[in-house]
Amino acid sequence: MPDVLIADDSEFMRNLLREILEEDHTIVGEVENGVEAVEVYNEHTPDLVMMDIVMPIRDGIEATSEIKSSNPSANVIMCTSVGQEEKMKEAVKAGADGYITKPFQKPSVMEAIEDVVPS
Amino acid sequence: MKVYDGSQTEDAQETEPERLKVGIAEYEVTTGAAVLTTSGLGSCIGIALYDTSTGAAGLVHIMLPTADDVEGGNRAKFADTGVTELVEALEAVGASPSTMQAKIAGGSDMLDFSEDGSSIGSRNLTKVRETLDEFDIPIAGEDVGGDHGRSLQLEADSGDLVVKSANTDSVVL
Amino acid sequence: MNVDIQSLGTFNELAHEGAKQATQSLAQMTGIDAIVDITKITLLDRDDIGEDLKGRDFVGVQFEYEGILDGDTVLVFDAESADTIAESMIPGASEDPKMAQSAVKEIGNIMMSGFIDGWADYLDSTIDHSPPQYIEKSGADVLPDAPEADDHRQVFVFKSEIEWVGESVNFYIYMLPEYEPLAEAMVESADTESDAIPIDKLQTFNEMTTSGTQQAADNVEMMTGIPTDAEVTQISFAPIEDVPKQIGTDTYVGTVVEFTGIPSGYLMVLFDEVSAVNVAEAMMPVEMDSDELTPQHEAAIEELGNIMTSGFVDGWANVLQTSVDHTPPRLVHDMGRSIVDPLAAQVGQHQEHAFIIDSKMQTDEIEFSAEIHALPNEQELRAALDDLDVERADKTEASVEQMFE
Repeated sequence: MPDVLIADDSEFMRNLLREILEEDHTIVGEVENGVEAVEVYNEHTPDLVMMDIVMPIRDGIEATSEIKSSNPSANVIMCTSVGQEEKMKEAVKAGADGYITKPFQKPSVMEAIEDVVPS
Repeated sequence: MKVYDGSQTEDAQETEPERLKVGIAEYEVTTGAAVLTTSGLGSCIGIALYDTSTGAAGLVHIMLPTADDVEGGNRAKFADTGVTELVEALEAVGASPSTMQAKIAGGSDMLDFSEDGSSIGSRNLTKVRETLDEFDIPIAGEDVGGDHGRSLQLEADSGDLVVKSANTDSVVL
Repeated sequence: MNVDIQSLGTFNELAHEGAKQATQSLAQMTGIDAIVDITKITLLDRDDIGEDLKGRDFVGVQFEYEGILDGDTVLVFDAESADTIAESMIPGASEDPKMAQSAVKEIGNIMMSGFIDGWADYLDSTIDHSPPQYIEKSGADVLPDAPEADDHRQVFVFKSEIEWVGESVNFYIYMLPEYEPLAEAMVESADTESDAIPIDKLQTFNEMTTSGTQQAADNVEMMTGIPTDAEVTQISFAPIEDVPKQIGTDTYVGTVVEFTGIPSGYLMVLFDEVSAVNVAEAMMPVEMDSDELTPQHEAAIEELGNIMTSGFVDGWANVLQTSVDHTPPRLVHDMGRSIVDPLAAQVGQHQEHAFIIDSKMQTDEIEFSAEIHALPNEQELRAALDDLDVERADKTEASVEQMFE
């Protein structure tokens, strides 16, 4: 099963993502900010990161940019409530591989993952 | 300035003290047994002054520390000028700063998004204390800071200040 | 057409002074002790005017006026308080409907003359008004139809709320001027162009916000399965010290963020306590069936607030082709007024008046309603309006698919 790291400051969202993902994925960590996301990524180099954008201390775009610059093969899907075109461009620039807007349904999450990390 | 011509509606009972509502950036003064109320203090501060010799009392609801940043004609909006305004209004009804005591409540740090850590609530408090100090008016009671809102009720005949919050029990200062 | 902030402030002040005059006449004639609680200028869709009067019966006195300003104005009382007013003027009047009507009509006439005269004096001109017309209706029907204009769906409304001290009764004064003469009068009274707001664009901005509210309501529906309707979206202008009064003294649960960019400011998503529990329960996978707010409920509210906030501001960013960042949501559970108070104070450090954007949504299925209030910084709102390309107003949605192919 692929490894996945969940980065979201909302406990509610982490629970929701865990429920959707745990059936077919091994969850290597759940973190609440961008700094922890980079740390846990470097420790486990999971196959996939589900990354929120608006988080305290360090946001998801900066964290993605750092992960991608040291690990270009990393797979990062932004998973955010922000639906702004400029933000999406920033995410693309940071190296994000996919973008899911909240609120989401399970099928759209699975579809995005399939596009980025084909099973 | 409000004019109270003494005419009362029929159903006003004599046992019920008159209630005077003090809005944001407003003040009220009474020499009778009125109850002065103000609601929704977040970072704002309510300053209650009570003159122990004449029994006159007043309440002001200030919003910002000082008028320096913004021009604005309303003196009751700011901590420094608001306290001064209230002292002067009490003096006008015969009270003296030398026998006044203060009770203050509010100045919460809730929803402070400033990054330098100096919330408006705490800056308001500093200014209120400074100004009361200039008049040599002692602070007889306070319920300040924290991260919740407050509503106040000043019982003018006793000088008691009742502080209510949404999630905790009332406190009497 | 550009209107400077100062003249919006002046016009608000005029309405406020007028309402105070009217209230004083009332006190003199009836001995009723009343105070003007709040006066604001609101820009909203003509169909939404008087939404907050829903479900109550009113008695009112209506006038048409013409001159430098044209339109209608109405003074509205709760049906019950109208009787009390009549009784205090002419003892026995409440037993005699005809007498009561005439008493209310007369007091309305006197109150409103004071209200209108202040405007005319300030504008160095005359405003004539028709004889008072007595009306008795339910809800928003008590208000006159908003003036028609081909190119303006939205109208400016001056509204004063007058509180009868010690009673839970309010009076309202609504003034609905025609758009063009009002805008011209405001332009005339402007001192400087330096802080001018393009008021025509304010309408476009309001429409964008309406679609943002719809987006936020759709998000609620997706997360809870509760069909949710966006109700009213309006933008108001009031002195900074009146801002906290826009929200009641009830306890609310919700989230607050600071947003930065063009525009910048603060945004609140608020639920009454019952709605908060209901909506959080609907989001949870397991039944909690609790009447109280648990940490799980709060976590759900926090995320819902976050998603609603994005739904609300993303449209601004996409139309303006910029980004609007917001802080992670802070959960609040407190008296509504004290939640707004520190935000108003922060905005009030740099400005004397504020624009307040209010939206409401609700559902008929369960007891649920939510409010969104945004408090933008004046300078950045002005910049946003300056940058606003009216032609792009419908481009509120970004397309993810195109970018990640």
